[in-house]
Order: sequence, then C-alpha cells, then structure tokens
Amino acid sequence: MINSKWKQIGFICAFVSALWACSGSSSDTPTPTPTTPTDQAGSDRKAMLTNLADNIIVPSYTNFKAKFDVMLAKSDAFAAKPDNASLTALRQAWVDAYTDWQKVELFDVGPAEQYTLRNFFNIYPANVTGIEEYISAGSGTFDVPLSYPKQGFPALDYLINGLGTTDDAIVARYTTAADAAKRIAYLKRLTSQMNTQFTTVYTAWTTGGYRDTFINCTALNAGCSTSKLVNGYVLNYERYIRSGKLGIPSGAMTNGTVATDKIEAYYKKDLSLTLAKTAHQASVDFFNGKSVKTGQEGPGLKTYLNSLGAKDSSTGTSLVDIINKQFEAVNQQLNALKPNLADEVKTNNAAVVLAYTQMQKAVRMLKVDMTTAMSITITYTDNDGD
Amino acid sequence: MQHYFRKTTSAAPLAVFRLLFGLMLFGSIVRFWGKGWIAELYIQPRFFFPFYGFEFVEPLGQYTYLLFAVCGISALLVAVGLFYRAASVLLFLSFTYIELIDKSTYLNHYYFTSMVCLLLIFLPAHAYFSVDAYRRPYLRAGQIPAWQLDSLKLLVAILYVFAGLAKVNSDWLLHGLPLRIWLPAHNDVPLVGFLFNYPWVPLVFSWFGCLYDLSIPFLLWNGKTRPWAYAAVVVFHGLTAWLFPIGMFPYIMIVTALIFFSAPFHLALLRAISQRLSIPTTFLISQRTYTYPPLITSAIQVTFVIFFVFQLLFPFRYLLYPGELFWTEQGYRFSWRVMLMEKAGYAQFTVKDQLGHRTIVNNTEFLTPLQEKMMATQPDMLLQYAHLLRDYYSKRGFQHPAVYVDSYVALNGRLGKPLINPATNLADKQDSFTHKAWITPFNDNIYGF
Repeated sequence: MINSKWKQIGFICAFVSALWACSGSSSDTPTPTPTTPTDQAGSDRKAMLTNLADNIIVPSYTNFKAKFDVMLAKSDAFAAKPDNASLTALRQAWVDAYTDWQKVELFDVGPAEQYTLRNFFNIYPANVTGIEEYISAGSGTFDVPLSYPKQGFPALDYLINGLGTTDDAIVARYTTAADAAKRIAYLKRLTSQMNTQFTTVYTAWTTGGYRDTFINCTALNAGCSTSKLVNGYVLNYERYIRSGKLGIPSGAMTNGTVATDKIEAYYKKDLSLTLAKTAHQASVDFFNGKSVKTGQEGPGLKTYLNSLGAKDSSTGTSLVDIINKQFEAVNQQLNALKPNLADEVKTNNAAVVLAYTQMQKAVRMLKVDMTTAMSITITYTDNDGD
Repeated sequence: MQHYFRKTTSAAPLAVFRLLFGLMLFGSIVRFWGKGWIAELYIQPRFFFPFYGFEFVEPLGQYTYLLFAVCGISALLVAVGLFYRAASVLLFLSFTYIELIDKSTYLNHYYFTSMVCLLLIFLPAHAYFSVDAYRRPYLRAGQIPAWQLDSLKLLVAILYVFAGLAKVNSDWLLHGLPLRIWLPAHNDVPLVGFLFNYPWVPLVFSWFGCLYDLSIPFLLWNGKTRPWAYAAVVVFHGLTAWLFPIGMFPYIMIVTALIFFSAPFHLALLRAISQRLSIPTTFLISQRTYTYPPLITSAIQVTFVIFFVFQLLFPFRYLLYPGELFWTEQGYRFSWRVMLMEKAGYAQFTVKDQLGHRTIVNNTEFLTPLQEKMMATQPDMLLQYAHLLRDYYSKRGFQHPAVYVDSYVALNGRLGKPLINPATNLADKQDSFTHKAWITPFNDNIYGF
C-alpha cells in the first residue's frame, strides 16, 4: 500500500521535474524574498505590542492628558473671568494641547476606535453656522456625525481665535455681547464633552484593562491588535494627514481649487504647519518604534518588517529603509513651507502640492508594501477567500 | 469505449454524495445568511462587477433573500432527493446566478460548486436512497452507469490536478511564496507557531501542497492507497481551514473526496443511516439499473464530453495572452488557481474633462472595502470601475470625462509598482477577451505554469 503511494509520489516528482525543465527556469533572476532566516525576536508580535502600548501609546496619551488638563483649567478660568489675560492663557494651552493631540490621533485602535475619539476632537473645518445655532439654542446633541464639526479643537479654534480681529473684540463676545452667557455655556459644554470622551478612552487604557487585551491579542486577523493598529495608522496617514492637512486645502485632490478655509487650525493661522509636522513626525516615530519616554527605538513596525526580511528584491534595500527615506523626503518638503498653510496654499501652492505628492508616495508604501509584507489586509471585510 | 459506457456501478456513492453535498450547500447558505453577508455583499453595494458576457445578471435588491431562499431550499431538496430534477435545476441556476452578480466575490470553490450542480442535473442521484425513490418505487435503482459516477470523480480530479499544476512555478516552489508571507502571520499559535518563522517551513508546505494536489486524485482512485489518501485529504484541508480564512472550501472537499470510496463503504454508511431513521433495509435493495432512454443517454454523453473538453482546455487559455499571468490575471479565473498570490493594491482614479473639471475619486463612495480591494489588483475590474466612473461623472456635468488611474500593486512580496499605464484614458478602452495593452509590463519572471 505504502509502496504504491511512494511510486505515485516518485512519478509525480519526475513529472514535476520534467515540467520544470521544460519551463526553462534560469537561476539568475532576482530573488523576490529574503533568504535570511526570520529573526525570532523581531517577529514576536507580543513584544512589539507591549513596547507600542507601554512606551508609545499610553505615555503619549498621558502626555496629551497633561496638556489637555491645563487647557481645561484655562478654559474654566476664562469662562469664570473672560479677559485678555485669561484668553491668552487659554489660547496657549489650546495650542499646546492641539499639538500634542497630533501625537495620539494615530492610535485608532481599541477604545479610541470604539468611541471614535477623533470625531469628537478634530473634525474640521468647523461648522460656524452650526456652532452659532447651538449657542443660541443653548442645546444640541454632540453625538451625531453632523455635530462633529461643531466640537473639539476646531470649534475651540473658532471660539477663541475666530470671533474678532483683536483680543478685545473676542473677549467682548464673552462679556458684553447679548449672547455672552450662552457663549460661555457653550464653551463649557464643549470642553466637558471633550473631557468625557477622552477620559473614557484614557481610563480604558490605563485602568480599564485594555492594555492587557491589546498586547495579548497577537493574531494577525482583522479583529486583533496588530491589524487594527496598522489599519488605523495607515488610515490616519492617508486620510487625516495627507488629505486633510495638505491634499484637500491645496486643491491637489480636488479640481485644483484652493480651499484655505479647510486648513487645520484655520483661525489661528500660524499653527497649521506645526500641526502637520507634528502629526507626520508622530507617524514616523511610531513606525520606528521610538519610545516617547526615552527616545530609544524598540520593537515596532520597523523591527517587525526587518524580521520578515521585507526588501526591494531588485536592489536589496530593505523596505524599512525605503519607507524611512520617503518619510525624509516628506520632511524636506514640509520644512520648505512657511508656518501659515492658509497663506501657503494660496501663494506657494506648488510647494504644498509637492509635499502632498511625497506623502502620496509614502501612503502607497505603507498601504501596499508594508501591509502585504506583514500579511495584513488593509481594507478588510469579514469574508472568505481562497 | 462502448464497453466502458455499458459498465454499471452501485448507486450508493452518488446517493451519499447527493445527500452530503446538498446538506453542505444548505449549511453554507444558512451560514452566509446568518453572517449577514447577503446584505453586505449583494444588497448594500452601490455598484457591482458583472462578469464579461454576463452583464445581464443584475443584483436583485431585497429579492436577493428570495434567491438565497430558493437556493437553500433546493439544496435541501437535492439532499433528501425530493423533486430532484426540478430542485437540481433550480439549485444550479440560483447558485450560479448568485455567483455571477459580483466578480469581487469570485472564489474557485464557488465555481466548483456551480459545476457540480450542473453535472448533478444530468445524473440520476435520486435513483437511490431518496424521497423520490421512496414515493415512486419505479425510480428506484441500485445500479447506475459507471461513467455517470466517474464524471463527478473526473471533475474533482481536474480541480486537484490543475490546482497542482498552477503551483508548479518558481514563486511557489523555489521561493515558498506566498506562504512565506502568510505563515509568519501565525507565528503566535501555541506549540508550532515558532516554526513559521523559519524560511524552510513555507517551502516544505509549498512542495507538500503541490505534490498533494497533483497526486491526490490518483491516490484516491486507487483502492490500495485510498485510506491513506483520505487521511491526507483530512489533514491537508484541516490544516488550510485552520490557517487560512477559506470558509467552507476545506469541508466541501473533505466531503467530496468520499465519492472515491467503494460501494460497500457507502452501502454500510446508508445502512447505518437507515437504522438510525428506522427505514426498512429493504429500501436499500434494488437490482435495477437506472437507465435513461438511449437518445437522452447519447445527448448527455455528448454534453459531458464537451463539458470536460472545455474544462481541460479553459484553464490553459492564459497561454494565449502575453505577459505574466499573475500580474495581468488574463485567464486567471475559472482555472483552479487557489492561494497562489499575495497581491495587494492601491488605485486612485482621476476623472477630468476638457471643460476643466477634475476630481480625484474617493473609492469608498462607490465601492465596498471588499470590492475596492479586489478592483485594485485586477485589470478587468479596474476597467469596469473606470467605466462606472465615466458614466457617473458624465451625468454630473462632465463632458466626455477621461478616467486615469494611479495604481500601485505588490505581488508576492515584490515592491509595488503601477499595474496600469497612468497615461491611459480608461474611459476609451473596451473590455474584451483580447490582450489589455494598457497593463504595464511586469518586468520580472515567474517561471512555470
């Protein structure tokens, strides 16, 4: 019985070899994959997730929380006694918190994904008409998609930077204007809404046990940490950095029509480039697994890709180097821009489009080359394959 | 040949196959329904990708549930062998219709199922151990022409051998691709997970998979090797079911392979079932041989010959196209090419016209994630989608819109590159069976089939 099976196998082997010979394979073609053994430590997803959680995600949230708490306090102080000093203090705190927000927006996984934290923090451009309606009504839900542009940092931007050309004029809207009380009430609702949303997410990570869930869900399927993390990361880079910060306002993605009003932190004007750069750098650091606490690189996407030996077969350059080089190209273009992107898209549009174009190249590498090397499905659907 | 066509065989294997296959299909339909995939895949999408030449197959909206109900009920009727002929026709039509609605849901095992259903229409699978045979004893027959059972075995053999041949290529056998990409994804499973980090493991899997596919039909056909072969079937498909998200396919194949087993095996199985259901064993005894009228027999024989000639030739149609099959996918479907590629892509479309309209398309506005994923790597779907965009935007003020795509596709771990020539206005290109010259050359070689 066994004998005949081996005969069969022998025959098949001969058959295959014959086909092989006929198909004319030559040996001088580049190897499309690594020949180096996979590095066991680098491919340990639990170690990667642990480093990402303990040294990047949670500390980033903690750092943001510190800035955010200051902003909440300054906002309360301003609401209690609106004047130029309290406005200036609030504005500075808002700048600091908004900048640090860019370092946590990319973690679209776990509680942040579940509660869609971004929707309550950074959907812009702010809907000014909607905000004013909510103010005069003295109420209005914050939980439906239509309400997202009426809250978060963009709404605060409008409320503290967009109500007048001078600080005096802005403060007057909170003191002498007929609807001053209502405006103050809205400011309070806004910040407390942000606080509620953020606290939910932060608590889940710190004391709610999500950190353990996160590092223990090591499978690579759509429901587990690595896949969700990478998907959220790539989505953030593509849609919220590339498109949101540059592609849409510069007109690169639409008809070529410049839309200055779609710039992030539109009313503050000179903050937009800082926000874009901060968000971009956060993505770069995250890719490289760089600890927020020590600045040292640890297990992350970079080490994981290296352990898989992902590289360009024709040149032998590692995918990690290719991606980092592309990040560098983006940085160069961003560095060439002036702080006020609303001005830049009008007067220096080509330079903004150039930065967008470099980001677009990075998107492809992250979305296609990186995910395919990691065997992660980028736009997943819970369906069979074959 | 005449001698072969006069040979008869026990009707039991076909009856068991009918029963198990019908139940399996019924189960699949229930599972599909239960997971909410009917709405997700056939009702919610705004647009669909019909197959070339089957554009008349349209989604049915809410009636899709009815279609699935028809399919599920006919599967059940086929299983128990009630109103068998009508049920088998309905099963084939409804199942095939479902699979033709949207290319993005194409799977080889759906095609296989469709083809089996087609064959079942012509086979006397209800002649034995069926409700029909119970109600109308004159139908009952213990023997059927051997070629009718063999035709099913032949289809299974074709599936395996072609799947095996497709694996005879340099990516699969020399580089262990795409398993080298897929297996490390499971390096966290207990006990054996660490093995998946070693580069030789995917190579072993690849060679085993290839040899398995090429040899298993012969080993199943041969009585001596059959028990071992069947054990291999269970292990192999069990392993793929465990490692990869391939749904019902492994189970369908595990059940289908039983058809190679001997008549005594199947008779024993049916006797056991009969005892359980308190059916008198006399029901299982019939000396009659099921025969069609001579003219119909000839007609079926001719049809089957045509069918199998088609099955043998169609997978080779890729040879008529220039370029790398895995890259262009011209002649890729309906050829039993299973799990051969890790292909991922990205496609960003620009629509513009001479009046100065220009827009970059957000694919999520038009397509589901699954559709977008499939479209991004398959040239014919990229073209269909481009035409959809052309028609959509010409209704919205664009004059003779031109559609360009910035595509980026990575195949089996190679760095991504454009799949479609970005300077091609896809709005002007027509789909056909001819070569698509606007696909950029692969500039690499994958040797073999």
